[in-house]
Amino acid sequence: MRNAALIFAKDLRLLRRAPAVLLVLVAYPLLVALLVAAALQGGDRRPGVALVNLDGSGRTVAVGERRLSVEDYAARLEEDVDLRRLGPEQAAAALEAGRVTAVVTIPEGFIADLQSGIRQPVIGLTTSRRSPIEADQITRRLEAAVYRFNQGLATGYVGQVLRLVDLVLEGGDIGFLGRSGEALGLRRSRELVIGVQDALRLRGDGALAERLAPLVDFIDATQANLDLARPAAEAIRAPIRLEVDAGPPGREPLSAFGLAGALLVSLGLAGVLLAAAGLSSEREDNVLVRLRRGLVSPGALVGEKTAFTALACTLVGLVLLGAVALATSLAVGRWGAWLPTLLVAGAAFGAFGALAGALARETRSALLVALMAALPLMALGLVPGSDVAGALSQAVPFGPAFDAFQRLLVEPDLDGGALGLDLGHMALLGAAFAGAAALALRRRA
Amino acid sequence: MTGRPAPPSGAPLLEARGLARRYRDVRALDGVDLDLAAGEAVALLGPNGAGKTTLLTILAGVTAAGAGTVAWGDGGRARVGWVPHRPAVYPRLTTRENLRLFAALEGDPRPEAATGHLLEQADLARFADQRADRLSTGTLQRLNLAVALAGRPSVLLLDEPTATLSPDQRRRLWDWLERLRAEEGMAVLFSTQSVDEATRRGDRLVVMAAGRVAFAGTAAELVAAHGGPRPGGGADAAELAFLRLVDPEPA
Repeated sequence: MRNAALIFAKDLRLLRRAPAVLLVLVAYPLLVALLVAAALQGGDRRPGVALVNLDGSGRTVAVGERRLSVEDYAARLEEDVDLRRLGPEQAAAALEAGRVTAVVTIPEGFIADLQSGIRQPVIGLTTSRRSPIEADQITRRLEAAVYRFNQGLATGYVGQVLRLVDLVLEGGDIGFLGRSGEALGLRRSRELVIGVQDALRLRGDGALAERLAPLVDFIDATQANLDLARPAAEAIRAPIRLEVDAGPPGREPLSAFGLAGALLVSLGLAGVLLAAAGLSSEREDNVLVRLRRGLVSPGALVGEKTAFTALACTLVGLVLLGAVALATSLAVGRWGAWLPTLLVAGAAFGAFGALAGALARETRSALLVALMAALPLMALGLVPGSDVAGALSQAVPFGPAFDAFQRLLVEPDLDGGALGLDLGHMALLGAAFAGAAALALRRRA
Repeated sequence: MTGRPAPPSGAPLLEARGLARRYRDVRALDGVDLDLAAGEAVALLGPNGAGKTTLLTILAGVTAAGAGTVAWGDGGRARVGWVPHRPAVYPRLTTRENLRLFAALEGDPRPEAATGHLLEQADLARFADQRADRLSTGTLQRLNLAVALAGRPSVLLLDEPTATLSPDQRRRLWDWLERLRAEEGMAVLFSTQSVDEATRRGDRLVVMAAGRVAFAGTAAELVAAHGGPRPGGGADAAELAFLRLVDPEPA
């Protein structure tokens, strides 16, 4: 332990003596963080979607005063995606080749079904398994587009019903469903019945006038109920209305999710590369042949590199978070929880890098191995909802580190137990990788 | 120059028996026995791939033996200083920092004082604050040896210590080693490819070939046993005997 501390002090001395390395250690993660944050924020690209229209009827459906066609639906879709009109085979080939992310199919008889009012028309959506993130995004966008289209249809239908209600109430020209003529309307009907009652009473036939009183009551009750029809129909058309109010824009386009991803990639890369280079340089400098003679055991040496990386990652992480807190409007906070999280994450990244350093014979090879292994595994950590990717990312420190970073940055209420589980998970993986590194160092020295 | 110390006598400081080591299909060591007495200088001679470095790394504790035993005398308390062929120091630390670090790693309670002593002993004071990667080859080899001395060893194991040195650097190094033997009774086991160096600096020779000990004894015994029908004298005769031993039917 004492000798490992001496090597730790030596590493600190060497790092302090190399200002360029120190600068890179801080600047590189900052640069990576900016790039990753920008990449994760950039969700404005319109995905490519093929539209297959099998309803060649060219028919339209009357909704209120408007007539809607398939092209109206396509126009709605085009607000959200880059739409390409293709035949069924072309669309399938494009999906297979990855040129489009999804295929929307308008089936034969779509407009006829819509007109029937009995058969519910169905729109088909086939998404690509090639890009689960984009496919998920497109599904949500198309669901939103169908919702908006349905809302448009509902508005049309409700308008039509309300015009009928007005006709029943006020009367007027029918001009509906091919018929023409004059509708009397409840108000004028009431006036007529009241007039007849008054005339009967003047003629001394009050009994007959009283017999018409239930008809007046019925008209009044119907009028009162139909007056409620308008707000009721509005409510049916959209039971819940979403009122969109754009929040404060912030001083910069940075989200908590973007920052968590940026932290993972920047600290992960810095930690893995630092540990890999530190351990492999002991071999490259030929010093391992002295240390192995009972001065520092492989386990202690790996532990030292892991601890050194944990310290470096914590400092760099705090600098990054401090810069974000100072220069942006994003709330960072939770500093008390950040300290153990960065320490444990840094140690786990260090153990992962130490394994690469122990396996490679030269520092250059160690860096290459570490980079090649770490980059795809980090990317897997950022992929949401994929079973295989999720399982793989949880088998290396990057998955639980990302979970912990997100928990600290994104969750409104910090669940200490869940964070503790993330840290325990990382510590367990760190111990496993450190053990493997020590074993490799023992065998390959 | 200090005169060559008298050959030692007494109980062996090192007894290695039946040492073996394989690297995949290659038998690097195959049942090697070796003794070393306190204050003795033994030269390990042999062609490339004979197993000299493997034997030294096993004795130094860097590599584990596949089979065999190593027993250190002095009640197992003998301290071993290891001088690998390629200098094993931190290149970006200075001479002083390297010596202080390794003295501390070896458990010296006063690493600063030990550093001063080693700087003086190795004639490195002028280079104390120079980074190791900026030292000349000879100076770097002296630092390599000084680092091995940081643990105050009673045995020095050296793997071809003079292979990359010029004649004057080689002479300075040997003067220092023989001073250590004479003044501190240190035993020295060194490998070399030079028969001349082995006969001049070693009390005994151990000739290795294909992972085995082909001969162990003095230079005179080597010449007597393998020098041919009319062996001459001196280093040439020893070299001829060595060549006959390791390559009996040259092309």
